[in-house]
Amino acid sequence: MSAHLLCLTSGSGLPIFTRSKGNTETLPFSVIGSLNAVHMYSKSHKMALFSTSTEDYCFVWNEFQESIVLIGIAAGCTKEVLQKVLQSCFNAMVLVVGFDEICSQRNIERLKRELRIALNTYSECVDSMFSCVLIHGRIAAATENWWNLSSDELKLLTLLASAESISANKDIPVFLPQKSPNAAFRFVAITLISDVQVCCLCGPTPSLEEIEFFSAQCFKSIMENLGSAVHCYPRNFPTTMQMDTGILGLLLVNTKSGKYMISRSPQQLFGKRTTSGSHRLDILRSFYYQAVLNYLVIQGDKVVLDTADTQISDTVPKQESEKNTCSYSGKEAYWCSEYHKCHAVRINENILCVLYNSSIPTHAVRLVTQKTLKMLISDKQVCW
Amino acid sequence: MNEQQCLIKETPKDHQDNSEEEWSEDESSSNSEYSDSDSSVPEWESSLDTSGQVLYIDCHPFVKQSQATENDKPTNAFVKSQIRQSTRSKFLKLLRRRDSKRRSKRSRSLESSQDSNSFGKVTFQDHENGEIKEVYLVINRENSSKYGRRTTLSELLLGISLSSFPNSNRVMIAGFTTVNEQKNEKNIKIGDWLRSIDDIEVNINNINITLEQLSNKNEVKLQLQRVVGIEVTKEPPVNELKNQSNFVYQFLNYDDEEQSRIMEMISAAAVGILFLDLENLTEEGSEFEGVIYCYPRPYEKNILCQTKGIFITLSHLLCEITKSKPTLSSLTYKDILTHVIYNNYNGKLLLIMIPDHCVGANEVKLVTAELIRMLEFMYQTIEKCFGSREFTMQVDHFFARFFTKILSHGDWSSTEIKELNINLQHPYQMCFEEVLPAASFVPLPNETQMQIDDALTELEASDYRDWNEEPLDCQRLFTILGSALYHSGYLLASHLIHGDLIDVHSFCRQQGLFHLSKTEPLRSLVLWREVFPFSCNRSIENPDSSYKIPDGRRYLLIIGSGKDLLAVIMEAGGCTEPAEDKMGPDAFYVEEVQATLSHIQELGIPDLVERWLATNPGQQVTVPEAPNGKKKSDFLSFTKSTPQNQSRDSNTTSSRRTEVTSILKRRSSDQGILSHANSMFSLPDEELHSEDSNSQGGYSERSEVSDEPVLGRRAIRERKNYMGSDEEESDIEDYREGSQLSNGSYDLSDIRQSLLNEMEEVQPLCLTAGKENVLYHYVHFDSTEGILLLPPECRANSLTLNTILQNFRNCSHNIHKLFQNTLRFKNMSAQDMAKSLMNKSLIAIKEHGVLFECEYKDDCVRAKPLKITYWVIGRLFYMPYPREMYVCYQDTIPQNLIDIAFKLGITLSG
Repeated sequence: MSAHLLCLTSGSGLPIFTRSKGNTETLPFSVIGSLNAVHMYSKSHKMALFSTSTEDYCFVWNEFQESIVLIGIAAGCTKEVLQKVLQSCFNAMVLVVGFDEICSQRNIERLKRELRIALNTYSECVDSMFSCVLIHGRIAAATENWWNLSSDELKLLTLLASAESISANKDIPVFLPQKSPNAAFRFVAITLISDVQVCCLCGPTPSLEEIEFFSAQCFKSIMENLGSAVHCYPRNFPTTMQMDTGILGLLLVNTKSGKYMISRSPQQLFGKRTTSGSHRLDILRSFYYQAVLNYLVIQGDKVVLDTADTQISDTVPKQESEKNTCSYSGKEAYWCSEYHKCHAVRINENILCVLYNSSIPTHAVRLVTQKTLKMLISDKQVCW
Repeated sequence: MNEQQCLIKETPKDHQDNSEEEWSEDESSSNSEYSDSDSSVPEWESSLDTSGQVLYIDCHPFVKQSQATENDKPTNAFVKSQIRQSTRSKFLKLLRRRDSKRRSKRSRSLESSQDSNSFGKVTFQDHENGEIKEVYLVINRENSSKYGRRTTLSELLLGISLSSFPNSNRVMIAGFTTVNEQKNEKNIKIGDWLRSIDDIEVNINNINITLEQLSNKNEVKLQLQRVVGIEVTKEPPVNELKNQSNFVYQFLNYDDEEQSRIMEMISAAAVGILFLDLENLTEEGSEFEGVIYCYPRPYEKNILCQTKGIFITLSHLLCEITKSKPTLSSLTYKDILTHVIYNNYNGKLLLIMIPDHCVGANEVKLVTAELIRMLEFMYQTIEKCFGSREFTMQVDHFFARFFTKILSHGDWSSTEIKELNINLQHPYQMCFEEVLPAASFVPLPNETQMQIDDALTELEASDYRDWNEEPLDCQRLFTILGSALYHSGYLLASHLIHGDLIDVHSFCRQQGLFHLSKTEPLRSLVLWREVFPFSCNRSIENPDSSYKIPDGRRYLLIIGSGKDLLAVIMEAGGCTEPAEDKMGPDAFYVEEVQATLSHIQELGIPDLVERWLATNPGQQVTVPEAPNGKKKSDFLSFTKSTPQNQSRDSNTTSSRRTEVTSILKRRSSDQGILSHANSMFSLPDEELHSEDSNSQGGYSERSEVSDEPVLGRRAIRERKNYMGSDEEESDIEDYREGSQLSNGSYDLSDIRQSLLNEMEEVQPLCLTAGKENVLYHYVHFDSTEGILLLPPECRANSLTLNTILQNFRNCSHNIHKLFQNTLRFKNMSAQDMAKSLMNKSLIAIKEHGVLFECEYKDDCVRAKPLKITYWVIGRLFYMPYPREMYVCYQDTIPQNLIDIAFKLGITLSG
């Protein structure tokens, strides 16, 4: 997989940043210029270029707020997903520098500097291998509000927390792309133990020291729990839950709140890290994009995997799902390949995609998936 | 009598004026070259153009006659000055343009029997009190040698084809064989009751005997009675000049004014086609440098042409970045989502732009691929198609029709584009089955299939030795490479190489020939043009291939009549006479194909297919029912319906008999689903057997020879062998001595019998497992053979089913697209596999299913809607060659897809 992201100002075509992922060379400036020029030229003919595909690659253009043009290039990816990535990228920019800044473009150089953080964020974002263990949430009662943030914002904040690892704790001003694109909040992330962070959004007070102190106090008692939670990775759900032996991996998505849990080794195979693990996740992701997204998820409520959070069990907030009134049409989807089987079931807003061994009969797969999904969403141990 | 109405056939003379051939430039000169009285001139001769192409369409819209002209004066209706030139060198010379008299005695003209067959089927209400006329006819003895095998006695002697009135044995004038003479007299009208010949009262039973007795006379007196009141199924157009449907008019006519109007209309929309030369482009070049062809024109109004820079840049740029060519761009033009398809040809770029609301992103690649395939079939290469000036007008004309159809959401006859906002609100969804590059196939019983194969094989064999007194020592003009028979756009039989079948199918579909045969009252279609079939590598030498393509040219001949089309690909050169430039069709071969088609029609095969198409919703599928509603469990059970069958037979006898004479009259809708299912292929009794006695003397003996019913051409051939001692008896003679009516009954009654026998064996097999049939739809797509298996089009008025099917089609598109990954990977070399950027998760998928839930919408009484859950599953089989199957069934018990595919293959292969 290789991908490029180009960002230019839409009026003058000045490049703001470019990022590449995968084993590709960076694009020469002339190519970037031409890609932007094509988009600009089309505008003069009442056209708006949206996407172009070759056999394997997909090129996507998107202009935001008539000021920024983002161009995405990726192989082996649908244009819908790539468009979503562009949208996220723009949101990341808003998150870091604020809405006004982007629109006014007073100082390109400054913008460039400030955007550097966002770029790193993006790198993680387009690399959908992302599955770090992260405990997020707000101290005590404020957690409900955290979930009320849009899924995009959640994702970006989560990414932000894990992006800069120079210092243990961070205190970054952020603009929320949906909630407050113009006024900044403070985003504070504190590393409790390695791989476990606690994050919050707050106003000018309290100071970072105070927050550090409070969080240490609050979490001291449950530090053991957190420690055991870390060990769950990459299983991502408690070891106490028994899974069917045919299951190679699973992906649980909540389309409403935009969170997901992905697990690649549900079997308790300690110490055995096969290289196929990441491939399994790839299969599940492809299955979700190609088969589930089109049928099981209704329009306008589509969760692109990168927008969701990796969630770990037996920790903080519990969210009440609202009564689901939407009438979904798709209920189940499956595909059979020569090497594996994938099956997805939707119950209300929860979708469970499971990767199976190819030897399991298709009709058995249905039962197992349904049983597993019911278990996951009803288990009191699991916070979902 | 004042209210008298009559159906008259449009004469070829009338026709030539308003149906000038599509591509002719010097139409007027063609008419004067041959004498009008010469009936040996084929009707399509006038449509032959300078490039050797023919497009002749004759339809029968029914015109209203205010007052029939009465002319009681008896006249010599038959002009006997027809001298058929018998040129022995028939096969040695090639047919020159308008060399219309070059007709051999051997080439027994069969166009006439064709006429009568398709035309005679008009319903008339007969009354006793019509005007009675006497007409004298000269019996033409010269004719006896020129007419073909299936010509009836009355056609032979009188030049009139006869039929019976519905529900009586009175004889009706069904048509004329020698169009000019009879028609000009206007004494004899189609639909007249033939009361007597030489004062001998005739009915359907004694007409042949009577005619035989008359055969040595020179002149006969016919007493005719005009019947009043004609049941016209089609609303008669008021103006006789407008008796061509808009679709046919647009198809046949290239009218500059109209074309520029259409072009202007199209340039307002976001559509277009552009062919560009990417090489030798200079910076200083003019704005439209490199444009080889574009539609609509002028360049300034073509949006693709104006913005060609975008696509040229993208084409270069993307190639530079990704080492692969762009295939599809999506963009909005005037806020309408539009797709642009790229195709590269040796440094030249073809761009086609179609808005999303007309053809969605899923379909657009398939639609354009078919378009390009058709153009290659017609013009060899895309470069020749657009580069050569001689084709420009033809190509323009095609694209005018193509884009108008696309913009009016598939409406062929439209010349206006619908309001854009209406279009946007109701995006047109092309049917999944309709965009796949394959022909939907009608499974017929074995015996029927054999009959068709037999007829086509005989045509293809072109074995004419027996037809000549002297041995033929010359080469043939053409080798027939293959043929395919269609009815209403459904494929009945194909003897074409798979690739060629897809070519022919694309051609017929894109040119609207299927639409023509489905919707127009087609009397006769003759189409002839040079083609470049896939099997011959588009006639391009392939140095890599060890197989050398014969040096020759290939031609496509399509003959249509009624709802039937017979397409034949012929080769000149190779082992036959070398081809000439701009060669027109040979009348002899056209007649042969026409004769084959009319033979197939006489066998009753179109009726049989109509029956299959009318099974609603078809044997293998069912209509969704309310989940807890009462199931029609014995809906398809054949075993217990024996008493029903019997009652059905007597029941349909009457309705069947009307159909013999009236193909125009729609089947009465009161025949319910159940009855259709029970008697799908059975042809009910007809009271026409009485003819057998006098005309088919040898027939009864045949049954002693074999127990198996042997029918049609095969029967005749075998009978000939059996009666080998009478060496005078050729199969032509057999036909000549029998009237058309008797031939019809001979074949039909036997087929009916054999089909009934066969029906006992062919039980409709439930494709799905379980007691209930839960299958709603299936599509079996064989991309290699170009064959689709589908249930007959469902006319059940079920909102639920429509919703389900729409979803099914949508979903099947996506599944089809997903399967392309697997197919592509399978065809990849190991080297490419390593380099490929394909998503490795998608390379081995063979089955994909989605479960849907929808509300049951046909039952609005309930307050709380019931829900139906159903599966849409696609399955890919790639051994021995790729086939795809898509099914839609209710979610009850698990189904095995391989099982369904297997049953589908078995039951539908007949």
